[in-house]
Amino acid sequence: MNEADTNADAIDRMLLQRMAAGDRAALATLYRSYHGRLCRFLSRLTRRGDVIEEVVNDCFWITWQKAGEFRGDSRVSTWIMGIAYRCGLKALRQHGDEPVEYDLPTDEHGMSSDPDEDRELRDWLGKGLEHLSADQRVVIELVYGVGHSLDDVAAIMQCPLGTVKARLFYARVKLRNVLPTLAGNPNARKEGVS
Amino acid sequence: MRSSVNPGMDCPHAWELMPWVLQGSASKEQAAWLENHLAGCESCRAEFAQQSRLRLALSLPPDLPLDAEAGLQRLLSRLDASDPQQAPAPPRAKVWLVRALAAAVFAQAIGLGVLGIKLAAVENPPYRTLSETPLPVPPGAIRVVPDAGMTLADWDALLHALNLQVVHGPNSVGAYTVVPTDAAVTTGQILPRLRAARGIRLAEPISATP
Repeated sequence: MNEADTNADAIDRMLLQRMAAGDRAALATLYRSYHGRLCRFLSRLTRRGDVIEEVVNDCFWITWQKAGEFRGDSRVSTWIMGIAYRCGLKALRQHGDEPVEYDLPTDEHGMSSDPDEDRELRDWLGKGLEHLSADQRVVIELVYGVGHSLDDVAAIMQCPLGTVKARLFYARVKLRNVLPTLAGNPNARKEGVS
Repeated sequence: MRSSVNPGMDCPHAWELMPWVLQGSASKEQAAWLENHLAGCESCRAEFAQQSRLRLALSLPPDLPLDAEAGLQRLLSRLDASDPQQAPAPPRAKVWLVRALAAAVFAQAIGLGVLGIKLAAVENPPYRTLSETPLPVPPGAIRVVPDAGMTLADWDALLHALNLQVVHGPNSVGAYTVVPTDAAVTTGQILPRLRAARGIRLAEPISATP
C-alpha cells in the first residue's frame, strides 16, 4: 500500500467513524467517493444499470448500518468492495439464476459518432471480457482496474488465495489469446504461458 | 550495463510480475528486473504493452450513465423511511461508554465489599449508637469521680496502689469506671479506701441493672 492509498484509507476510516455516530454528511462523502469505482466494478458482473444502482445502494445501506463494527482488519475499500460483491451476487440470484449477460454497449450511438477515443478502448475491452466468466472478470477488474492485491481480492471474494491466483491466471491466458486479434493483430497467440 | 536476459527461461517470472509492476505495488528491484527483461524479450514486451492497454481500458470511468447524486438521494430517502431505531448503527463510542460504566459499577461493588469486610473486622468501633445494647458492666465495677484539681500522677498512683484499672471514662461529668485487677479484692474493701483517698469526690459501686 503506497502513501496515497494509506492517506485515502485514513480518510475513509475517519468517515466511517463519523457514520457510526450517525453523520449523514460523512455517508454522502463516502458515497460520492466510491460511486464511480463501485459502478465500474459491478458493471463487470452485470450490464443492467438498474441492478447496479440497486446494488450500490444496498452496499451503502449495509455500510451505514455496520460502520461501527468495522474492525480495521483490512482497508476500508477492501471492506466496501466485499460488501458490494456479495450484494451483487445476491442481486443476480434475485434477478435470475445466471449472471446477467455481459453484452457490449449497443452500436446505436455509433463508434464513429463518439468523439471520445476511449470508446474504442472500451469496445476492445468489452469484447475481451466477453470471453471470461463473471468471477474472472471480477478478479481482472479488482487487480487491474482497482489495484487490489491478491490477498485483498481473496478477502473481497471470500475465497482461498489459490482460487484467486487460478482465476487471474486463466483470465490472463484467455485475454492474451483474444485481445491481439481484437486489436487487429493477425499474429494472435493461442498458446498458454510461454 | 544490463544483466543477461534469458528469453523463454525468465518469461514466466516476467508474466507473474506484470500486473504488480503496472499497479506500482512491485518492489523497485522487481520493476527493474522486469524492465531489464523486457528490453531483451520482444514477446514479453508485446505482452506488457497489451497488459498496459488492458489496465488503461479498465481504468476508464464506467460507460453506464448512472447519476451518483440521484442514487445518494434515494439512499437518504431510504434511511428516512426506515425505523429510526435501526437506521444508525450503534456507535462504538456508546458501546465503550456502557462498558466503562459497567466496569465502574463493578469496581465500586468490589470496593464496598472490601470496606464492609474491614468494618466487620473492627471489634470495638470508636462510637456507639443509642439503639445498641449497653456494654455489660464488669463485676466489681466502681464509678469514681476524681477532683478537678487532682494531678494525673496522683490519679495513676492511687489506681496503682489500689490495684484498679480504668475500663471506661471519663464521661461527660468526668466519671471513670474502674475495676479491681486483683480478683481476690472485693468492692467493699476498695470503696472505703477510695472514698478516703485525697482528691476523690465520689466513689460508688455500679450495679449491673440500673
